Amino acid sequence: MSKLREALEAGHFPLVAEIKPPKGVVRDGWLAPVKALEGKVTAFGVPDNEHARMKLSALAAAVLVQQAGGEPVLHLTCRDRNRLALESDLLGAGALGLENILAVSGDYVTLGDHPQAKPVYDADSVQLLQIARGLMAGHDSADLPLSGNPNFYLGAVLIPEAEPLGPQLLKFRKKVAAGAQFFVTPSIFDLEKFRRFRQSLGDQPVKILACVKVVSPEEVAQAATGQHRKVYSLPAAVLQELAGKDPEETLLKGAAVAGDLLKKIRTEKLADGVYLKAQGRSDLLALVLEAAGA
Amino acid sequence: MIIAERKPFHEIKEAVAPFEKILIVGCGTCVAVCLAGGEKEVGLLASQLKLALGLEGKRPEIGEITVERQCDLEFIRPLCDFIADYDAIISTACGAGVQFLGELCHMKPLFPALNTTFIGVNETVGFYTERCRACHNCYLGVTGGICPVTMCPKGLLNGPCGGNVQGKCEVDPARACAWCDIYERLEREGRLGQIEKILPLHPHDRTTTPGAVIHPAYRRRYGGHE
Repeated sequence: MSKLREALEAGHFPLVAEIKPPKGVVRDGWLAPVKALEGKVTAFGVPDNEHARMKLSALAAAVLVQQAGGEPVLHLTCRDRNRLALESDLLGAGALGLENILAVSGDYVTLGDHPQAKPVYDADSVQLLQIARGLMAGHDSADLPLSGNPNFYLGAVLIPEAEPLGPQLLKFRKKVAAGAQFFVTPSIFDLEKFRRFRQSLGDQPVKILACVKVVSPEEVAQAATGQHRKVYSLPAAVLQELAGKDPEETLLKGAAVAGDLLKKIRTEKLADGVYLKAQGRSDLLALVLEAAGA
Repeated sequence: MIIAERKPFHEIKEAVAPFEKILIVGCGTCVAVCLAGGEKEVGLLASQLKLALGLEGKRPEIGEITVERQCDLEFIRPLCDFIADYDAIISTACGAGVQFLGELCHMKPLFPALNTTFIGVNETVGFYTERCRACHNCYLGVTGGICPVTMCPKGLLNGPCGGNVQGKCEVDPARACAWCDIYERLEREGRLGQIEKILPLHPHDRTTTPGAVIHPAYRRRYGGHE
């Protein structure tokens, strides 16, 4: 069984660290966090052409994480595959022993590095979850039987700071109904907002991994010029701490801020676990864990 | 209606430069309304071509004619004799009209003057926006009269993606998120319950091209094509 699932269900507050598949076939560097954080984090998030930028196949990267001794959380985007490819990749993941799947719609192609590519979205993330549940039950989306069913721990994305919130909650309910068992949020910086959101959500039969992020210098610069357009807010107090530093200093300070957030989320039980984003860098990830006392 | 834009002039000019007798056929319906291929635009294109080719020392004979609709045999069949007098044809119709005209004058080189863009509406003079992807499976009754297939760039059927910021689309921040609009409209009408149900995967088999529709009253006559 998935270690992430075990830890979440046992209330052990697991940490998932995101790694960054490279644009190329190099194996050095990007896999380093798997060894460096062994025993400190439960699983490793593997983005799928994140921000619509072409990278090494997430499925291949997840297998490489597995071979390096880590447990992957494979992201699967609806943007780049029709239903045949989604199902085929899900079966591939199942056959390779990958259980944790994060179903995402995927950032639109024009926002990435192949803006002229054809966007697919044959399924949306709700339908993708349904497809995965179907495969687990032994049939594909055309209702044809499988020879051997995969076993997945299914996740999806939840946006606590969405405005308006109603449409996001509609999608959340559909994702739960479609079989999502855990949710990952975008970066959380405003804990008060997040606390209120959790209270408004009430008791749900799902686990929530709050995303804690080491803010990049680019994001700080965008926020300083009012160009920060994200589904989460960067409070002025955080920006003040990060402003006016050179890029490396910003990252180091960002790691301290992230460590503090992680610690508060864990202590105050604001989420069931944390999804940690730190540029995929072992040193930054380790700094966050150190700052959080994790 | 069908919305189209005129191709860059140099592209049209280069296509017809080798010919001495060129006929420009306009279309008086959709592309006339969107100011891309009606009688007036045919006249403008003819003048531009005469001037530009004239500067290169050429003196082509350029004819102009505009029909009611190029997507209707009734209106293009009378063009047959007229076309016979020319070496090349430029059509300022949408892609459908160009092809239909091409079937009629298949012995002549035929060039499109427009890029067909979408099925849309005339917001105001000179401003047209898309509304329909002709998906063969209209969801408007469920989604409060706002099309998720067209108005959401991702065509999501079960709610917004995670990328909208304050109700604005991830792809174009100047535009409203279609799903926020759908939700708001249905909430106002007290009909939110109808989008709680998960919509299934879209039946893309229906959109296999080229499509054909036979009106039920004519099935006996054209049944062989079904």
